[in-house]
Amino acid sequence: MDIIFIKRLITTSIGRKAVMAVSGLLLGGFMLVHLAENLLLFKGEPAYNTWVDLLISNPVTPFMEAGLLALFIGHIITGVWVRIEDFLNAPRGYEARRWQGGRTAGSATMLYTAAAILAYLAYHLLTFRFVDHSMGFYQMVTAAFRSPVFVAVYISGSLALALHLSHGMQSAFQTLGVNHPKYTPLIKAGGLAVAVTMTGFALISLYYLAGIDLKAAEAGYQVVVIK
Amino acid sequence: MNSSNNFSVTVRVWRQAGPAEPGKMVSYKVRDVSPDMSFLEMLDILNDGLIKNNDAPVAFESDCREGICGSCGLVVNGDVHGPDEHSTVCQLHMRRFKDGDVITVEPWRVKAFPVLKDLVVDRSALDRIIAAGGFISVNTGAAPEANSIPIEKDKAEEAMDAAACIGCGACVAACPNGAGMLFTGAKISQLALLPQGRPERAARALNMVAAMDKQGFGNCTNEYECEAVCPKQVKVANIARMNREFLLANLFSKK
Repeated sequence: MDIIFIKRLITTSIGRKAVMAVSGLLLGGFMLVHLAENLLLFKGEPAYNTWVDLLISNPVTPFMEAGLLALFIGHIITGVWVRIEDFLNAPRGYEARRWQGGRTAGSATMLYTAAAILAYLAYHLLTFRFVDHSMGFYQMVTAAFRSPVFVAVYISGSLALALHLSHGMQSAFQTLGVNHPKYTPLIKAGGLAVAVTMTGFALISLYYLAGIDLKAAEAGYQVVVIK
Repeated sequence: MNSSNNFSVTVRVWRQAGPAEPGKMVSYKVRDVSPDMSFLEMLDILNDGLIKNNDAPVAFESDCREGICGSCGLVVNGDVHGPDEHSTVCQLHMRRFKDGDVITVEPWRVKAFPVLKDLVVDRSALDRIIAAGGFISVNTGAAPEANSIPIEKDKAEEAMDAAACIGCGACVAACPNGAGMLFTGAKISQLALLPQGRPERAARALNMVAAMDKQGFGNCTNEYECEAVCPKQVKVANIARMNREFLLANLFSKK
């Protein structure tokens, strides 16, 4: 069996970028699903806990988790590899250098937002994944969201993700060769929309930090955002 | 040719005696500069003065001086090919400057384009990419009838837009990563779009990308600085087409 087509995905510039693009798009899709899951918090404790219990008791879940881990590792390895080569080969030594308008805040900071997201991910796993879950998932999450320090870190993580995706989503399509006057403007707008959607994580945490659910309960309202 | 409109500028220019020599910025005063002069003519005046003083003239490349050959290429005050948008530096005129201006002139500072002398860089890395597949193979003999292969107008225009690339290397000089992908994308595209380029397209994409990777360019991170400076306005859609050609060739060709 000739596996040169797999080898080229790792050994060539465009192959590595394609791996980074595909894994990045799939991770972006995961983040959208993850946000949808977090919105279940608004349905109340029983609904949220039922969903999480269903999710973790599903025998397929460990395989999905392993797949997710593989996506992260693939994305990080190819991303770091590309950036090391870029660092080694970047034009260097211009006395004066002006960017001509191609760069964006998102594109210029990809490496930094990536590092921030990775650091946040480690914190996220340590606070939610690898801890005692006996208090119940809803309690665990809402208790964390009432801590200003946690919410500050959480918001930083989601803003870094939003900035990362503001360049990353449309960039992935370009890398995979999807560029056409008919739909590239839509892809760019869609990529920005996905990026902005990521601030939803921050908004949910602020909702609990501000205690809006508690105030509403005191006032006798039951806040049901999603029916 | 003296005129009351003439003025003086200070040119800070990169001087480097040879590929292995250390270089440095050196300042020169250039007097009696006409606003109608091209930027390269101003450098000619500077060199006349240097030669009269028995100093070595500033080496820089130029050929057609009408923006179509791709020989010239300088970073002027931090702008690749100078401050005019989508233009080569030979098309820059001194009317863009005023009396007393200090103008910083640097070569392309690209790892794959080593400096040979002063402002002249070795861009043969681009030639090696072309040699790997930027051509079509045809039998010798009588020229075939030109109209025997119909080509739709839009495709011909698109191929011409890619073929407008003059290989000046500005895309690499402007790229935050020193990537050579706008050039390679244009050269792959101009042939992939036309029926004459189709028979060899898979091997061409694989071979030209492999050659590009060998030259010491960085990787494209889709920041599109290249498109912003390209004097021929070659579009990054050509990079997407190269990616497409390469990935499809990798998956579906027998190479």
